[in-house]
Amino acid sequence: MSIPRDFARGIAPGPNRSYAPPPIHAAAWGTWLAAVVVVLAVTRNPLYLLFTLTWIGWATLLVNRIAQNAAPGADTLGLPPVQFSPLTFGLVVVTLSALFNGLNVHVGTHVLFRLPRGWPLIGGPITAEALLYGALNGLALTGLFAAFVLLNRVVPVRNLVRLAPRAFYPVAVVVTIAVTFVPATVRQFASIREAQAIRGHRVRGMRSWLPLMLPLLIGGMERALQLAEAMMARGFAAGDEQPQSTLWVRAALILGMVALLAGMLLHLVWRMPVWGPVLLLVGALLIGGAVWRMGQGQTYTVYRPTAWRVQDSVICGGALLTALAFLVELPGLARTSALYYPYPALTWPQLDLGMGLSTWGLLPPVFVLLWSLAKQDGPANGADVSDVSEQ
Amino acid sequence: MTRTSTLATWMSGAIFLLATLMGLVAFLYPFWVPALAQSGNTGLAHSQDAPYVLALLTGICFVVLLLEVQGAGMSAKTVALLGVLISINSLLRFVDLAVPGPGGFSPIFLLIILVGYIYGPRLGFLMGALTLLVSSIITGAMGPWLPYQMFTAGWIGMSAVICRPLVGGLGMRGRLGEVVVLALFAGLWGLLYGVIMNIWFWPFVVGTPDQYWEPGIGGMQTVQRYAVFYAVTSLGWDLVRMAGNVVLLLVFGGPVLRVLQRFQRRFTFVYSPVSQPVSQTVSQANDA
Amino acid sequence: MQPRQPALRHSFTGVIDGAAGAPAALPSAVDFRQVRYTYPEAATPALDQIDVQLPEGELIVVVGPSGAGKSTLLRLVNGLAPHFSGGHLQGSLRVLGLDPVVATPRLMSREVGFVFQDPENQFVMDRVEDEIAFALENAGMARQEMRIRVEETLDLLDLAPLRGRRLDMLSGGERQRVAIAAALALRPRILVLDEPTSQLDPKSAEDVLAALVRLNTDLGLTVLLAEHRLERVLPYADRVLYLPQEGAPRLDTPRALLGDEPAATTIPVALSPPLVRLAKTLGWEPLPLTVKEGLAWSRQLRVPTARGAQPPVAADTQPILSTHNLHAGYGDCPVLHGTDFAVRGGEIVVLLGRNGSGKTTLLKSLVGLIRPQRGEVRLQGVSIKGKDVADICRQVGYLPQDPNQLLFADTVAEEMAITLRNHGYDPRGYDLPIAPQTLLERLGLAHKAHAYPRDMSVGERQRAALAAILVTRPQALLLDEPTRGLDYAAKARLRSLLEEWRGEGMGIVIVTHDVELAAEVADRVVLMSQGEIIADGDPYTILGSSPLFASQVARLFPGTGWLTVEDALDYFRGQTHAPYATDDYPDEGA
Repeated sequence: MSIPRDFARGIAPGPNRSYAPPPIHAAAWGTWLAAVVVVLAVTRNPLYLLFTLTWIGWATLLVNRIAQNAAPGADTLGLPPVQFSPLTFGLVVVTLSALFNGLNVHVGTHVLFRLPRGWPLIGGPITAEALLYGALNGLALTGLFAAFVLLNRVVPVRNLVRLAPRAFYPVAVVVTIAVTFVPATVRQFASIREAQAIRGHRVRGMRSWLPLMLPLLIGGMERALQLAEAMMARGFAAGDEQPQSTLWVRAALILGMVALLAGMLLHLVWRMPVWGPVLLLVGALLIGGAVWRMGQGQTYTVYRPTAWRVQDSVICGGALLTALAFLVELPGLARTSALYYPYPALTWPQLDLGMGLSTWGLLPPVFVLLWSLAKQDGPANGADVSDVSEQ
Repeated sequence: MTRTSTLATWMSGAIFLLATLMGLVAFLYPFWVPALAQSGNTGLAHSQDAPYVLALLTGICFVVLLLEVQGAGMSAKTVALLGVLISINSLLRFVDLAVPGPGGFSPIFLLIILVGYIYGPRLGFLMGALTLLVSSIITGAMGPWLPYQMFTAGWIGMSAVICRPLVGGLGMRGRLGEVVVLALFAGLWGLLYGVIMNIWFWPFVVGTPDQYWEPGIGGMQTVQRYAVFYAVTSLGWDLVRMAGNVVLLLVFGGPVLRVLQRFQRRFTFVYSPVSQPVSQTVSQANDA
Repeated sequence: MQPRQPALRHSFTGVIDGAAGAPAALPSAVDFRQVRYTYPEAATPALDQIDVQLPEGELIVVVGPSGAGKSTLLRLVNGLAPHFSGGHLQGSLRVLGLDPVVATPRLMSREVGFVFQDPENQFVMDRVEDEIAFALENAGMARQEMRIRVEETLDLLDLAPLRGRRLDMLSGGERQRVAIAAALALRPRILVLDEPTSQLDPKSAEDVLAALVRLNTDLGLTVLLAEHRLERVLPYADRVLYLPQEGAPRLDTPRALLGDEPAATTIPVALSPPLVRLAKTLGWEPLPLTVKEGLAWSRQLRVPTARGAQPPVAADTQPILSTHNLHAGYGDCPVLHGTDFAVRGGEIVVLLGRNGSGKTTLLKSLVGLIRPQRGEVRLQGVSIKGKDVADICRQVGYLPQDPNQLLFADTVAEEMAITLRNHGYDPRGYDLPIAPQTLLERLGLAHKAHAYPRDMSVGERQRAALAAILVTRPQALLLDEPTRGLDYAAKARLRSLLEEWRGEGMGIVIVTHDVELAAEVADRVVLMSQGEIIADGDPYTILGSSPLFASQVARLFPGTGWLTVEDALDYFRGQTHAPYATDDYPDEGA
């Protein structure tokens, strides 16, 4: 019961400055995230993992500092995030995953202790190798989580929504409305709770939530009708005028799916060297074409596009290089060093200088954040510096 | 005209079917890819791109479903309705994120299932998928699991439509039986959701197939191991979710169903304005 | 192959010629002929054989009792009816030469801007600027053009300082101005507004109306406005379209429509502002529409200098509810600073004050929704400390601003049963505080006992909420903005109910911005500002002297202590030699 009240407080009017556009384009962040996912999926080399996690952590810290300095509510929903911090998440997941792997996989030379053979699955030698490998898996997962959390914090919803292809304009509007209506829904809920309390309602057991949920739902649907009317009055494409997916588009989708399915089977099961990938490509192109064709039917334009700057190109370039190094054998880089196994006996992870450097491709966002922090701190920091010099 | 629309219906069905099939194949890869990897003699090298190919395929499947689902033309009404309902449902998600007690219980499935049941598979899919998207945006619980959650929740909403013939066949529309059927359906999905949600996580725990230790392990063994993993890590939570869903539907299902039905007519209608001859004569008089 | 649809736009070149300035020569912005429209599954048409021709460039106010089809008529202008609501439409419609049904709302949005009642529910985006651009984006306008349009529109409504603000942090009036801006972004030639100020406090309402007047006079924008605050808009209205419950609508100048012709074709007394009612009774000709015009007449009248203060309601009896040095607020920002307030049985206390002056906070503190930080609240002389809201509310009824938030059951009767069960009564038992059916009869809802509350009119819904609250027969009733969104008939009904309950000894507290309501029912008026009570006394002293909260009649006859039309008429009827006194005193009940 106390949760919604907290939200209501979060939404309470506060300083409300106009917002500055984020310094990095949403698509650049997206590319960066994709590269992080590739690296973390491919490598279990603790050194590379640590590099990557460090860059993510650094960026997170910088974002935290920027957020502290900014006006409260400047460009957030005003809702307190409830998610656990990546640090907590990491501790739990690394521990769990080390335990699980350690108890399940009885391979390795460094035996720590033995569980009785008779215990199903977990019986047998418990090895340092298995524990370590589990922990590394947990570390990769933590990195993924932290990267997503970071993205969620730095990219405003509206910019994220605009990344959607034109064909998905209606869905994008749905998401925009849903996010826009959150504060109003919270307020509604708070006043419904009051309204029900004054007619003697008490929260006791599950059924007593009905008097709170039903008015919210009914009121919400009534509001939806009014909103729909308002949208139509301002020229939002009504059902009959929106491009329907034509038979051709549907045919392309079906053919594309069939091609993908066949391509997948050929490539992964029967291992046809040429036909598999070709069919996969054809399928993807057909579906991409269908999406593009549907997008053509949407006539809307965008009022405020976020500018694509040099820094965005740099971020994308760096991320692509990193992803490439971890996906494909590049001359001069020992990609195999990324595929580290502790089994059958613990070894020191191999550090290939080139591969290590290639994770630095994930660094440009950190530089951009540092730069914008410095800009933001400008006058305020001046005072700090003079304080320090006096001491 | 009718032939075209029948064809369109068939095509639409085919798309749903293919996307679901491919989604399943891609979701379940940890079980069959390792089996392939060790049955062939070319070794592991070739199938090492399997996870990426399959992740991409999952994404494409989702895009296709989304396109097909909204392709039938979303009106301002459906867009606004979904937007508002998703915003309500996303706030409900705070309950399962912020209240530590009830394990895997989450109240979001109630509306997803009922919207799918009443308003059809298209809105059901969007309701499921977008609830997960929006709620993870506003709660900050966005993670690598998000695409899988969206896909699965979309399936839940989409599949709720199969309760319609079930309820209709048993002649229970508008009666308690209707809610019971929906509650059982919700319970089933409560469990399945957990099973599916764990699969994306699984390769991280055991490693991707190219790093798979113990080459002797086959498909069956993977399933077995997954079962243990699942029983240890999630079964408890998922049982709570299952029970929660059943109770949720039993307690709230009836009243919420009535509300959704009450609004059904207002959100879907066909209008037929009739221009009478009188309008002709008047407009002619106007022009003259 | 069918021939293509002929051009939608008619040519008006033949009409706009030399006759400069003559209103009759201007083309019609809206031309409806023999329009009949029936909502789906409705037995009778909402509009029946309507003929309306509205000239371009004027500010036209649409007036009529609720249920006469005002909203429907407005929605026909941009095609929302029937495109949004379905139903059956006959007749010929032309809006700027376009047929809105053929053109669809999407195309009509370029010619007709539409603003709705509730500012909360018409926004898609979360920022002012993005919201204004939404219509432009839908129209597929080029970005450069769009930027210019947004800038222009922001300036037009003085919204530039708010451009980056979040919409949910704006006040109601600001939001409604954003809604107008968003409707004007496409530069439509007609702006249609459906009771845009009904959810606003008077100050915000005035801002919005002022903006409309400016748009009309500066830009020549055709404004079509449904509005029940006639006293505010009449002075600016070029014409009034009166839509009666039965019969043909009439379009004329405000004076003509309010004049003394046969009742069927003029606006009934119940819908007129107090000034007009008084002026008609006293036979002031031409009819004054503003207080300034009315003062020219009222100054010529001999009126008493002051009215003796009313005896206060037995101040020695124990109050039902009282606060003592109450400090309360939200979180760590206190709103009330040491408030002493009391309400006794058999009196109606009206709380007036600006937005944010602490009125609602005081009301919520009285029922325990907000707990005191210091001081205490007493119910029947006993502190409410430690009692929960449900217990307090058995004895104190509270009607929240939006009665919709109470109602969720399938029938009105069920709503009452839920409250009874909440308080531990058996709804079918014999020991109920009041028989539900009796209560419904008194509220005039006996025939609606089994209706779905959400399908009823605003006034009926409010009374259904009252039924759900009063079924425990509380001794005190608190109402938060009870006249918001009500039309004149519903207001009159509420007023007589309140007076009836007062007669039975109930203590009533009303928080409102509605000065005329305060003038009519208050026994005591309490003025609040910045969390403090700055005045507390009988309405004649407070409403008669304060320029901010004075009713129209008080402004016409300063120093007399008169507040309502009845106060003035009572005096004039007593004066046999009063020059303007007449016998045809309008019957209020009608």
